[in-house]
Parts: sequence; C-alpha cells; structure tokens
Amino acid sequence: MPRLHLGDWVDSGVDWLVTHMSWLFDAVKTVVEGMYDGIDAVLTAPEPLLLAGILALLAWWLLGLVAGVLGFAGFALIDSLDLWEEAMSTLSLVLVATVIALVISVPLGIWAARSRAVSAAVRPVLDLLQTMPSMVLLIPAILFFGMGVPAGVVATLIFALAPGVRMTELGIRQVDAELVEAAEAFGTTPRDTLLRVQLPLALPTIMAGVNQVIMLGLSMVVIAGMVGTGGLGGAVNEAIGQLDIGLGFEAGLGIVVLAIYLDRMTGALGTRISPLGRRAAAKARTTVWTYRPRAAVAVVGVVVLALVAGGMGVFGSTSGTAEASATDVGKGKEITIGYIPWDEGIASTYLWKELLEERGFEVKTTQYAAGPLYTGLATGQVDFQTDSWLPTTHAEYWTKYGKQLDDLGRWYGPTSLELTVPSYMKDVNSLADLKNKSAEFDGRITGIEPSAGMMGLLKDKVLQQYGLDGTYKVVDGSTPAMLAELKRAYAKKEPIVVTLWSPHWAYSEYDLKKLKDPEGAWGKGDGVHTLSRKGFAADNPEVGTWLRNFSMTEKQLTGLEAQIQKAGKGKEQDAVRAWLKENPGLVDKWVPVAGSGEKSRAAG
Amino acid sequence: MSSRLEAEHLYKVFGRRPDEAVERLRGGAGREELRADGTTAAVIDASFRVDPGQIFVVMGLSGSGKSTLLRMLNGLLEPTAGRVLFDGQDLTALSDRELREVRAKKISMVFQHFALFPHRSVLDNAAYGLAVQGVPRAERERRAAEALRLCGLAGWEKSWPDELSGGMQQRVGLARALATDADLLLMDESFSALDPLIRRDMQDQLLTLQQTLKKTIVFITHDLNEAMRLGDRIAVMRDGRIVQTGTAEDILIRPENDYVASFIQDVDRSRVLTASAVMDPHVRGDEADCRCETATPDTPFTALCALSARLTHPVAVLDGARLVGVVPRQRLVGFLGDQQGEPTPCDHPRDEGKVTARA
Repeated sequence: MPRLHLGDWVDSGVDWLVTHMSWLFDAVKTVVEGMYDGIDAVLTAPEPLLLAGILALLAWWLLGLVAGVLGFAGFALIDSLDLWEEAMSTLSLVLVATVIALVISVPLGIWAARSRAVSAAVRPVLDLLQTMPSMVLLIPAILFFGMGVPAGVVATLIFALAPGVRMTELGIRQVDAELVEAAEAFGTTPRDTLLRVQLPLALPTIMAGVNQVIMLGLSMVVIAGMVGTGGLGGAVNEAIGQLDIGLGFEAGLGIVVLAIYLDRMTGALGTRISPLGRRAAAKARTTVWTYRPRAAVAVVGVVVLALVAGGMGVFGSTSGTAEASATDVGKGKEITIGYIPWDEGIASTYLWKELLEERGFEVKTTQYAAGPLYTGLATGQVDFQTDSWLPTTHAEYWTKYGKQLDDLGRWYGPTSLELTVPSYMKDVNSLADLKNKSAEFDGRITGIEPSAGMMGLLKDKVLQQYGLDGTYKVVDGSTPAMLAELKRAYAKKEPIVVTLWSPHWAYSEYDLKKLKDPEGAWGKGDGVHTLSRKGFAADNPEVGTWLRNFSMTEKQLTGLEAQIQKAGKGKEQDAVRAWLKENPGLVDKWVPVAGSGEKSRAAG
Repeated sequence: MSSRLEAEHLYKVFGRRPDEAVERLRGGAGREELRADGTTAAVIDASFRVDPGQIFVVMGLSGSGKSTLLRMLNGLLEPTAGRVLFDGQDLTALSDRELREVRAKKISMVFQHFALFPHRSVLDNAAYGLAVQGVPRAERERRAAEALRLCGLAGWEKSWPDELSGGMQQRVGLARALATDADLLLMDESFSALDPLIRRDMQDQLLTLQQTLKKTIVFITHDLNEAMRLGDRIAVMRDGRIVQTGTAEDILIRPENDYVASFIQDVDRSRVLTASAVMDPHVRGDEADCRCETATPDTPFTALCALSARLTHPVAVLDGARLVGVVPRQRLVGFLGDQQGEPTPCDHPRDEGKVTARA
C-alpha cells in the first residue's frame, strides 16, 4: 500500500488557512469575544447571591417553588466554595457556545430536513465533528483563534453542534406527513408550513436537541480549560495537575450544579414554548410546591432584582486609582505569561508576575497544557513562558516551533529525569538493581503521558541499556494518575517504581529515592529555559534583559515552591510577596532599574 | 350542463425518466413491464368528468392509484402527462403561487386520518383554511363556528382534537374543508378509519349536507357499499386504470368486465337497486288495473320486496300515471342473487306439501 500523506495535506491546509484566512478568524474571534465579555460582564456585575436570586426566580417561574429553592441553594453553594467567578465564566462560555451552536444548527437541521442531499452531506461531517478526539481539533483552533475563550468556544461548538442539527432534522421529519399535506392542500406556502405546522410540532424534539447542546457544551469545559478559557474547567485542570482532589471535586461539583440547572431550565422552557407542552402543563394540578408565578410576575421580579443588582454594581465598583511609582517602567503595558501547572512553572510565573507588576506592567497569567502553550507562544498569543525544558524534554516542541520563538536563556538547571522508588524499597538503589526484581514490581513501571519526552527516552534507551526491556512494561498514563498511584502505593508501603523528574514537589511530600544511573542513560539533564514569542525582547528591551539575566538556585526555587504550597491555591502571589520580603535585595537584583533620578523622570 | 371538473388522459409515473415511461404506456406497455425497470405507473390514462353538485366516487383496492389520482386534482402531485380542468381552468398550467391560491379558495380536502393540527383548538383547526387566506380573525372564527355547527359540533369549539372521538375528529376535518366555501371537496378515504356505525352516520350526514350545500365532491373509497351509497357516478380503478365509469346501477347491472363483476359480487344489492333497475319493461298494459299497491321507479329494492310479499301478483311500476314495468317475485330473487333469466324446469315435479313434510 502506498502511504497516503493525509497528515501532511492537513498540515499544509491548516498553514494555508492560518496565513490566508486570518481576517475571517479574527472577525469570528472578535464576535465571540464580544459576546463572551458582554454576557460575563452582566453575570458578574451583581452580588453573587443577588444573581443567584434572579436565577432561582427564573427556576420558580418555569419549574415551581421547589426548583427555585434548590436552584438558589445550588448557586449559593458555588458562591460559598469561592468558585463564583469561575462558574459565571463557565456559564458565559457555555451560553455563547450554545447560542452560536443554535444559530448554526437549527437552520442547518431545517435545511437537512427539507433536502435529502443536504442531509446526506451533513451527516458524515457531524460524525467527524462529534467523534474526532477534541484535542486533535483543539490545536488547529488555537492556531486559528489564539488561546483563550474563542478557541474554547469553537472547540465546545464543534462538539455540541451535532445534536442540534440532528434533533432539528429528526423533529421536522417526524411531523406527520399527512399534516404537512393538509397544510399544503389548504394552500399554505412552504414558509408558513414550516413556521405554523412543522416547527411548532417539532419543537419538543428541537428543545431536546438544545438541551443536548448545552449538556455537551458543559462536558467540554474541562477540555476547553486546557486552552486557557479559565472558569471551572481551568480550575478542574489545575486541581488535577496538582493532584488536589478536594479542589477538583469542588470545581466538578460547580459544573454539576450548572448542568442540572441548565438541563431542568431548558426542559421546562421546552414545555413552556411548545403549544402541546403548554396544554399538558395547563391540565396538570397545581399545589403550593408546583405553583408557578405567571410570566408577568416573574418578569417584574427579575427586573426588580436586576435593578437592585445594577444599582449595587454601580456603587460597588469604586474605580482603583492608578499608582504612579518611581519604578514604573511598564506604565501599564500588558504582558501575558503562560504556564504549565508544574510547580517550578507556577513558582517562576507568579514570581515574574509580581516582579513585573512591581515595575509597572499589567501582567496576565494563564494556565495551559504544554502543546497549546507552545502553539500560543508561536502565534504570539502569549508573550513568554518560563518553564521550557531544553534540550531534551521539550525537544519536539522546539523542533516544531523553535523558529517562531526566542530562547531567553536558562534560569535553572540542570534538571534530571529519573526512575524513582519510595525509600522503603531498601535494596533498590540504582537502575541496575531493578533487574531480576520484576516480579516484586509486578513488571510495571508507572509512567506519565506517552507523548512526554522522557517516556520515549525511557522506552527506547534506558530500559535497553540496563537490560530491563523484556521484563518491565512501561504503563502509559498521565502525570496526575502516576502521582495518585504513587500516593496510594506509598500509603500502603507497596513496591512501586515511577518516572519522575527534579525539581518536583513529590520529593518534599514523600520520602523518595532517585535510582542512580551509572551508565548515564538518561543523558545530562535539561535546563529550564525562558521562551518568548519572536521579537518580545525587542518590543520590551528592559524585560528582555531582565529575563536573560534571570537565574535561580535550587535553594531559592524549592524555598519559593514550599512557600506557595503552604499558602495554598489562589494565594500564589501573596506567597511570592512574602518570600521576596524574606529575601530582600532579590527584586533589585532581578529587575534592576537605573538611579533614583531617572526613576522619577520615568514616573513623571 | 358543463362539467365542473374534468380530467383528461392523466398519467402519473414515479421513478426515473417518467416521460419515456408515459410514451411506453401509450404504446401499450403494461404496468408490470415498467415495474421491472424500477418505475411505478400509479395512474394510467385516467379521464372523467364531474358535473356541478355531483358526488363522484373513485373506487378501487389499495394500490390501484386512486389516492394519487385525487392528489393530481388539486396539484399536490403534478401529473406526468394530461390535464386537469377545473371550471375551465387548466390547473396543470398554473404556477405554484396560483395553484396555492386555487387550493386555498376553491378546492378543499378531507383526509383519511383526519390530519387535524394537534397544536390548534377545534375552532382554530376549522378556521385554518381561512387563516391561510388571510381572513380577519373575527370573521374566520364566525365562519368556522358556522361550519362546525353544520357538522354537528356546536359547543366543541374550545376543545382540542385529541379530546374528541374519531368520528368527531373527522367532523372537524369536514368542517375545516367546508369553512372555506370551496366549490370542490376532495375526500380521501375520509370515512375508512371510522368504525362501521360511525361511518354510516357520517355518510348520512354527508348526504344530508349535500342536499343543501350542493358541493362538487370527489370521494375516494375502497368500500364498494360506500361507493354505491354515496356516488352519483362511480369510477372503478384497477392497476392505475379506470376500468368503468357509470352510476351505481350501471356498474351493478352491467359490469364492464370480469374484474368489476367479481368486485360487485359481495355488494349488498338490496341497498342499491331500485324498481327501475329490477322491473321488466315488457308489459301487457293491464297489470295496474287492480286496486293493489304499486311502486314507482325510485322505490328501493327492500321496499319492493315488502310490497311484493303483500301481493299475489307481480308489482306494477308506475311513473306518474303511466305503467312502465312489472316486477315478478322471481325477478326480485334473481337480482338479489345476481341470477337473471328464466328458471330451468324441475325434472321431477312434486307438490309443496311433501317437501314440507320431509323437511
């Protein structure tokens, strides 16, 4: 069989689109971002509990008293978990994606219902969109739209589009042919047949499709979180990355609350607007628990609450006055730092956020998975990132994107890759000791993501060099899964050997032992580099110089990491501040400014 | 009197290259021959005329093409060949928009499974055709309520279709068709889905309404009894072709071919036949010279039987004062059994008493 170079064609197709169609993608991006910002602004303007009240009132109107109370409780729970902003951001994302999905899918479904050719053409496309693994589509989405909300919305959209189209088509096709014929026999125009007969009767099915669109959209938010949309998805990703089960559960619960609320609301809305559903509802008996205020009452309630909310929003938002300080180099210039949720990445990113803000820059930090982060850097979405392991671990990304990036030098190193066992494994000290111990370890080495550089190195080189390749199997998985497995085995004092690297917090958390590598199979180790988008240093000469000169010792890095770990999630920057206070002089060393005279001129 | 509706050599072929198929059918090809090529000839060379105020029944078994024929009459299906003339206007030559106009104002339809809109009330259903025409709400509700009253549904306006029984639903369907004041009513097996008692009621109601409304009606059915009961004229279809057109008596007494003959075997003749069809027109002239009861040509068959049972001699049929025929009892029995002609004499005659004794 000749090799079809399908992948290459896709590559060049994507490249062509990026260079020639960017105007289109930019337009889409602007629209999506505008919608998202608008909805998010509305949702985050009022006090959380007030908005919870509005949402509960809507639930009361559509579903009844019990639903209203439960809805309020659910949103109050989100607020008490300190996840309100994340939840509203996720809600905005899902709403934007849903609106766009419906604008596309309902007309497409109608068209497909009326034309067999369209239906036949659309179906395989929907299959592709729905079943193609989302990460495969996510990377091109970043290339087209950049990191952040638009890429997240597009990824969600692609996944959620299919049920909207399918259910619309199905709903219209299911309408009794005799009814359509009756409409035609009385001289109804095709347009009126659609509007007066087909759509009203297909409405329950179409609303089921809308419901599915929303549910699938919510199920995508975690994936979307990987491209920097933030929100509950980002929180879940972060929690998983840090093996923070508690936070993961809380954020996950937030998603569940949103899902249940949206599911019940769209279901109720379906019966509300469908004529048949309305009839069925009118027949049903009402009790206090199912009593629902009439539409007018509900509208008045919502408006009153919204006005209160609006008023409070106006009075609540006291505009912060800009502080002009002597060390204001950035003068409010915006810099975006991207990071992978690895400990040294978080530590150095928040360190630089603090340092640069000290110097008058506006710094935005966003968390990504490694692939999207490099893509974002290459397209200029992200200004710099501090956690690039070169030359080995991130070699693939460097090969692919190196030409579009600037290496601002190594700030930490050398790192090391290793196989690690708990120190209670007394007689295993070096890789060579693993030989003949296969049975004890069940022949398993618990690995991380198969795409990671060290996994390739381990399978292709290290195992062979120590003659382990026949007796051990490297289990592919993920970093969080590996850490969870390590935690489990450690607690039970079971034998385990995992792939790990230094620096890593696991070494301070558990009593672990790096296996010696007398033959040097793992290679010399990486340096942690700072990479920036092409031309960043030229645009920001001071920052470029600072980053180039930046370096940390192991003691400094682990000290900072420990401080951040202690402070806990959400307080990273406070921890950095405290740590800088304990280590005076570092700020001026890392981000020096010229003499005080020049400083005041800069401030003026 | 000019005809209201006229079909001229209508063909409808489904499948590929329909025009070619029509040519082959005109050249004498059969339906089976075309089916082998994957094309279906639903209606082949159908021609008929319907006079104003007439109920024209198209009768045939399922698959005979009668529903397809009906849908060509209001343009729901476009004929592959042939013309439909309605009030002298060629419907097949109209644009879609003009055709919709005709359907909205002049032709309405009643469906087999009622086809009521479940999301509209009974009144809104009846008013549907008027709503399509753009009649203002107050007027269309008045006219729809009137149509419902005519169909015996006064007081049910606010109900919903699914709260009604089948018969009542079809009355709504009928009211919806009548509300537009269309001249032509197309009824597609409209009573077939109803149970027999309700069906009879509906037939009676249609006939009663027809006495005052005088619509032109094309009625499709597979039920010969229904066809005989309702139809002023009946067309019998088989395999896409109209095999015979005529009055109920024509078809019953003079079936065109074996198919029609076999078809009418099971018909309840007593409901269809009248004295004029049964009587022997060869009269001597003195049959009515007694003071016994007489019949008229319109006397139904059952009444004739009762009459005959009360008389000792054949029943005289008088049209006004003129004697037009006689009905001997032998003839009545013969028509009932579809057996005409003289009885063959018995080869071993006995008297009746013996037969009774032996029985």
